Amino acid sequence: MINFKTIKAILIDCALGAYSILVTYKVVYEKLLQDIRYADFSWNEPLLALGIGAVLGLVFFGWEGFSVGKRVMGIYNPPFGQPFIKAPYKFLSLLAIALTFVAGLHYSQVSVYEFLSESGLEGARKIFIALATPNFSIFEETMFAAIETIYMAFIATVFSLPFAFGLSFFAARNLMKANAFWRLLYVVTRFVLNVTRSIEPLVWAIVLSVWVGIGPFAGMLALCVHSVVSLAKLYSEQIETINEGPMEAMIATGAHPIQVIWYGVVPQIILPFLSYTIYKWDINVRMATVIGLVGGGGIGTLLMQYQGLAKWHEVGLIVMVIAFIVWVMDYSSAKIREAIK
Amino acid sequence: MNILEVKSLYKTYPNGCQALKDVSFEVAQGEFLVVIGLSGSGKSTLLRCINRIHPASSGQIIFEGQEVTGLKGKELRKLRSQIGMIFQHFNLVPRKSAMVNVLTGVLARVGIMRSVLGLFSKEDQTEAIEKIKIVNLAGKEDVRADNLSGGQQQRVSIARALMQRPKLLLADEPVASLDPATSNSVMQYLEKINKEMGVTVICNLHFLSLVRRYATRVIALKGGEIVFRGTPEQITEEWFKTIYGEDAVEVSVH
Repeated sequence: MINFKTIKAILIDCALGAYSILVTYKVVYEKLLQDIRYADFSWNEPLLALGIGAVLGLVFFGWEGFSVGKRVMGIYNPPFGQPFIKAPYKFLSLLAIALTFVAGLHYSQVSVYEFLSESGLEGARKIFIALATPNFSIFEETMFAAIETIYMAFIATVFSLPFAFGLSFFAARNLMKANAFWRLLYVVTRFVLNVTRSIEPLVWAIVLSVWVGIGPFAGMLALCVHSVVSLAKLYSEQIETINEGPMEAMIATGAHPIQVIWYGVVPQIILPFLSYTIYKWDINVRMATVIGLVGGGGIGTLLMQYQGLAKWHEVGLIVMVIAFIVWVMDYSSAKIREAIK
Repeated sequence: MNILEVKSLYKTYPNGCQALKDVSFEVAQGEFLVVIGLSGSGKSTLLRCINRIHPASSGQIIFEGQEVTGLKGKELRKLRSQIGMIFQHFNLVPRKSAMVNVLTGVLARVGIMRSVLGLFSKEDQTEAIEKIKIVNLAGKEDVRADNLSGGQQQRVSIARALMQRPKLLLADEPVASLDPATSNSVMQYLEKINKEMGVTVICNLHFLSLVRRYATRVIALKGGEIVFRGTPEQITEEWFKTIYGEDAVEVSVH
């Protein structure tokens, strides 16, 4: 019987087969066994692999002990406790994982030689000593940059609040099921949020530093965009867990939808929202540091400057201050969140 | 005069479950109508169709001579504001005081901005205190709803319904999550509202002992259809088995 599940199972086998063959040929054979530095690439190779994969998929279709796809889709259900030797699909999936591991080692250029080379170890010794003996003469400069970072993160969180709050109601499934219009609005809101969230704040910082110029403002805006979407997601998930009883009771009194939200929903979510917001500020302080590296201002930018000049004693001090701030923010945000539970 | 007329009401949920089939009945002004039946027989759905929390699939609901099945927006909210509702799980707003919970009963007549800011008028506040007194909770105004006992919470929800100055009160298994003694006390408040204030009550109940004591008339639902209409005295052993199935044995609550 051919149905949607069988087609998916065949596609899985086909893709897995093609992938294994391609990795075996390009990495294991060409790079590791033949040691070809600049291997030729032509699109025929993946196409051929895909062809073999398709043949394998069809062969495994009739030979279900070998079919990973059928097992994954639940079409092939071997008896429980079947010995490993009688389940070739287990070998095949392990083979694919092993191939991925080998290819991963190759592509990350893992090298024990580099890690333990004499000059390398010497460099490491020097930099660790420098980092461990920070230069306190730039303490003031570092402190001011740190203050910039903390306030930047705070403003980003505050600006993002109303937007995230408003959006979260439109992204909560349980509030948006009244009719087709609201369901569509829910889907659109979720889609926009997901797309925006999948763009890292680092990328936003690069884009915005072109727009408003390098500095804390660009960094703040980048954090703000990211905070809006991530808070909206956290908030809306919180809204989805509420008890709908009070909402129903408010509807039954003849209240307007805005009143239903205000009395039936908001009192149930206000504390979790506050808790998420404080957590977000904490995260924003850390992110602000990273964003500073691409010109978002604050202590991150300072770190990048001294790192560029290879002034490792100064870098040591900055790293120390960052660690201290992160620890303080982490500790206090945890305490505050505990207290308002 | 009939305050409510339901004519061949059908309700099918989107998942295909047919909750009500050809349900017709009238409710006269001042009645205490009790709806009985097994869990899943359609009692809750029936009440929620009356105040349109669930839309009916077909049929007519006539409240005070007005057809209400087609109402929308403002009109619909006005209809709901005239019908109080009490729930099995009380459905009070958590983290808010008993006073605020009772005041939510007037939301339909307060402006949106004023209610969002919590600016309820002096008259509404006085009225709320009065309603809290009626359910014997004077002094508990500022206690958070979630810090009250089950029986007290249900009394707050009765006060909230009274705040609507309802013509009809729907009670969806109001005592199903309360202990027997508290159940009786809550039922007495409903009886008082019915007899002294003249509010018509439609109430879903499980325990026949309570039905016999408080109902003026009974209808029974089975599989979404009305299988019995009559007075509480007419529910004989035979009828009981028809409504609740052959194996049912009556348990009583005193």
